[in-house]
Amino acid sequence: MRRALDSVYGGAAWLAALFMIGTLAAILLSVFGRLFDFHVRGTDAYAGYCMAAAAFLSLAHTLKRGEHIRVTLILDRLPPGARRGFEIWCHGAGIVLAALLAWFATRLVWQSFQFNDVSQGNDATPLWIPQIGMALGALVFLVALTDDFVTVASGRSLRHRDPDAEPVRSE
Amino acid sequence: MSLAITFFLIAALFAILASGIWIGLALLGVGWLGMELFSSRPAGDAMAVTIWGASSSWTLTALPMFLWMGEILFRTRLSEDMFKGLAPWLEKLPGRLLHTNVIGCTIFAAVSGSSAATCATIGKITLPELAKRGYPENITVGTLAGASTLGLLIPPSIIMIVYGVAAEVSIAKLFIGGVVPGLMLGGLFMGWIIVWALLHPDAVPPITERTTLGQKLYASRNLIPIVLLITLVLGSIYIGVATATEAAALGVVGSLVLAAFQQSLSWQSFRDSLMGATRLYCMIALILAGSSFLTLSMGYLGLPRQLAEWIGSLGLTPFWLLFGLMIFYIILGCFLDGISMVVLTIGVIQPTIMAAGIDLIWFGIFLVVVVEMAQITPPVGFNLFVLQGMTNRQLPWIARTALPAFFLMVVAVGLLYAMPGLVTWLPQRMVG
Repeated sequence: MRRALDSVYGGAAWLAALFMIGTLAAILLSVFGRLFDFHVRGTDAYAGYCMAAAAFLSLAHTLKRGEHIRVTLILDRLPPGARRGFEIWCHGAGIVLAALLAWFATRLVWQSFQFNDVSQGNDATPLWIPQIGMALGALVFLVALTDDFVTVASGRSLRHRDPDAEPVRSE
Repeated sequence: MSLAITFFLIAALFAILASGIWIGLALLGVGWLGMELFSSRPAGDAMAVTIWGASSSWTLTALPMFLWMGEILFRTRLSEDMFKGLAPWLEKLPGRLLHTNVIGCTIFAAVSGSSAATCATIGKITLPELAKRGYPENITVGTLAGASTLGLLIPPSIIMIVYGVAAEVSIAKLFIGGVVPGLMLGGLFMGWIIVWALLHPDAVPPITERTTLGQKLYASRNLIPIVLLITLVLGSIYIGVATATEAAALGVVGSLVLAAFQQSLSWQSFRDSLMGATRLYCMIALILAGSSFLTLSMGYLGLPRQLAEWIGSLGLTPFWLLFGLMIFYIILGCFLDGISMVVLTIGVIQPTIMAAGIDLIWFGIFLVVVVEMAQITPPVGFNLFVLQGMTNRQLPWIARTALPAFFLMVVAVGLLYAMPGLVTWLPQRMVG
């Protein structure tokens, strides 16, 4: 079970990385298209779709690595028992919100399919196709949060970030 | 009634954030609460559509690309080369090699969009080199903490992209608008080092090696790669051949080529940079997704308009409005990261800013400088976290060493207010 879950998060993260490369490729295609006078339709839109897929598919992996940022000011100063209570609340609320996101993202895919919703740009992509990335990523995120909730609720500690690991170089 | 709703939502937001829920999800949750409780429109579908639109916007693609570029450059020998190229020129300047922190960060900021990445990249070479030569640790760490925040002000800049997308302002213009203020702030930091060195003549270690002019010039060849990269990225934006997004993609390719030339490009380093950038972007994307929905929800409730009307009724002059905002952001910056700060407030505050007749490009640069302060104010400041990892010192100690930089940024805000042309002059001369 553990192995299966981890490979789901890992697989989604790899897919996300491929979509990052896809974003780069789409932008470069439009740059070179302009330089060398050929035109590929809708590269701008494709770059956006790839970026969205990359973000959502890596949600679970990023959560597992402890890199989603949160305010831990109070959390870090609590005694272990109270901290566990807070973690249960955070993960519980997280599950509810991720579930909302996953549900309505999936519904969006379905609605776009039903109403044959097409991109406003010149790519004219049926929108349900790129929106699958968002729905799938939100689902995997929901699974990962539930996974962590079970860990916290059963009194085990989460794999916290290694304090000696490189700090996150965001911003 | 509406005032009560506003207070309820703000209180809910801070309670939820403080309880430790991931920031992006917290914003989503409060947006949901506001919309479900106080408006008749179904929240769920609006949420999905808004988040999809925000997450797949073409303008935003510059953000993951610049993050990736930073991750690649972090894994090259670029900072080592810069140190070798800069050090010989600084023998005569009071404070000597301490200036490698400021000049190094200023130059690296022109290829990096993030202040924490600038801090980590420059610090990994200057901290050990300066310690080896006997420079006092407090001034080394303090100047690095301050100067590395230039990563945000000197383009490219992650915060400017986030602001540009949120406020619907040209990102290219914001980028170019940050150049002069960035160089000015870099100059202020160098002034700080000079004054410090003149006051503590015994603290600066003596010159160990003297070089001739020929040697200096020869050492400068180490700066060629980064100059080429800056020309590629910023040059293409300034002369109007590339948008910010395209410049970012060219920057990724340029960085990969540079890494290959330095033989620091391996499968391992490529994969690490790609995964690192993906996770960083994912973290930011969740915040942006949450905030896009919260902004929509606030808009439905009419919050930004009410706030603008309320502030308008106070009859504040632009000076006092900006002064109040600066204090507000400094306090917020102690507890929140810069991106969350910007996305959380800009949708609500923008009508007020426009009503006061403040230029949105100028306000963007103002905001970036204030966010820079947030990077070095405890307890939450990303540069402090990075330096904590690199020096094994406690957060309060690091924050204290960076305090002069904080005050210099306040001075910089004052100068920008007194001379708005510092921001607006260069963008007006852009091609296209």
